[in-house]
Amino acid sequence: MSELAITLLDACNYALILLLVALGLAIIFGLMNVINLAHGEFLMLGGYVLLAVKMAGGSFWAGLVLAPVVVGVVGLVVEELVIRRIYSRVVDTILATWGISLLIKQLIVIGFGPGSYAVEAPFSTAVPILGTSYPSYRLFIMAVSICCVTATFLFFFKTRTGLAARGVIANRTMAACLGVNTRRLDRLTFAFGAGLAGLAGAVISPLISLDPQMGLGFLVPAFLAILVGGLGTITGPVAGASGVGLADNLTATFLSPVWAQLVVFVLAIIVIRLAPSGLLARKRRKT
Amino acid sequence: MVQPLLELDKVTSGYGEGAVLQGLSLSVDPGTIVGVMGRNGVGKSTFLKTVMGTIKPRGGRIRMSGHDITGAAPFQVAASGIGYVPQGREIFKDFTTEENLLLGNLKATKADLDEVYRLFPVLRERARTQAGAFSGGQQQQLAIARALMGRPALLLLDEPSEGIQPSIVTEIGQMLKQISEDRGVTIVLVEQNIDMVTRICSRAVFMEHGTIQGEVLASEMAGDSAVLQKYLAF
Repeated sequence: MSELAITLLDACNYALILLLVALGLAIIFGLMNVINLAHGEFLMLGGYVLLAVKMAGGSFWAGLVLAPVVVGVVGLVVEELVIRRIYSRVVDTILATWGISLLIKQLIVIGFGPGSYAVEAPFSTAVPILGTSYPSYRLFIMAVSICCVTATFLFFFKTRTGLAARGVIANRTMAACLGVNTRRLDRLTFAFGAGLAGLAGAVISPLISLDPQMGLGFLVPAFLAILVGGLGTITGPVAGASGVGLADNLTATFLSPVWAQLVVFVLAIIVIRLAPSGLLARKRRKT
Repeated sequence: MVQPLLELDKVTSGYGEGAVLQGLSLSVDPGTIVGVMGRNGVGKSTFLKTVMGTIKPRGGRIRMSGHDITGAAPFQVAASGIGYVPQGREIFKDFTTEENLLLGNLKATKADLDEVYRLFPVLRERARTQAGAFSGGQQQQLAIARALMGRPALLLLDEPSEGIQPSIVTEIGQMLKQISEDRGVTIVLVEQNIDMVTRICSRAVFMEHGTIQGEVLASEMAGDSAVLQKYLAF
């Protein structure tokens, strides 16, 4: 019983981490249509910001707060210097963001070396839950993920700025003609997505080994989660990340990580074949 | 002599290699309703898009209330006091009525919404309905209401009668006239519907080859569409 509970909690933990990673990408890729290959590096950068703060003698919590801010600013700079010139050129965004990802990785190698680092969790207690005991930091990450998704929903659906951002995404020219400052919102939205990646990287850093190559391992399943869940919505990634995360983690536990990859990709192919616009997009069309 | 609200001075613009507006000059006095007529493809929509800044002018000057807005970004043009109702209405179909209206003015208060709902009661009833479910006439009302949310001094409308049943067209025409009279909003109405232009416009101008080629005053129209038809027949 307790083993099953741990397995389920681990699977939820992974799905929620994936959701946190995918959320920023859902905004940048799913809403703004920028295929951001540097998203994994934004995530990695978040982890390194936390590491740098700790190395400088700061607390874990200071690093956790600073990471999304720093990565958000990096996102702002990247948007201003590169992305804004290529919004309508899909192939160019792939090349440009790939270049940015290489640049960030190499800068980290120069600054921190190619090796990996471990970051200690701020607390290592275990709490009783579902008849077993489970590391409290993992529960904390799950809570952070749920809070971020909720906050993102509230931002996009309950604030005027969020409304304006959705307006720009839905019909850029018309939103501009109504007086919405589209440039400001592009910057803001991109930086928000980047900041979320930074937060994700920082919060998960105690669970992983921090190295310059870590981004890719999260980028691929995050893209998959968005494609499966459906583009252009905020709800899509929730469905996608849950599906991909649970399928991956449960298969890895009961069979092996190799099988997990296989199962996830086969399921993703089936879903995308049956519902090319993703799970949620299909549901919306039916109603 | 009143200062014109909107002034175009030898404006040229177009798409790619082709020039559509070829030195268009027009001035619109405050409080008037100006009908812009002409056959398909003479550049009526391009004229409005150039004023809004979605197409950059290649030459000439555009002034709004005396301020130069030539080449300004659309959001700056909107901020100068211009509301725009484009062809095809371009409402946000996945958004509710209220969200559409708020996009017209992100700082709007409940009182601002109420004011617009008083003009368009049907929108109040459907405040929480997705706008995509509306009929053509309701979408048009929503597009006009949305443009009014920003309290513009000038309203640009691109063929508001297109694809709408005749009884609603009449209603929209009356509403525009009322808005102009009650709120002192100046209106530039690009329209093919002769009836609507005859009924509400202070004057009508005719476009051909990307310029204004002729003009008829309300007194000359006197409710008689024959004068306009003569122009449109060339």
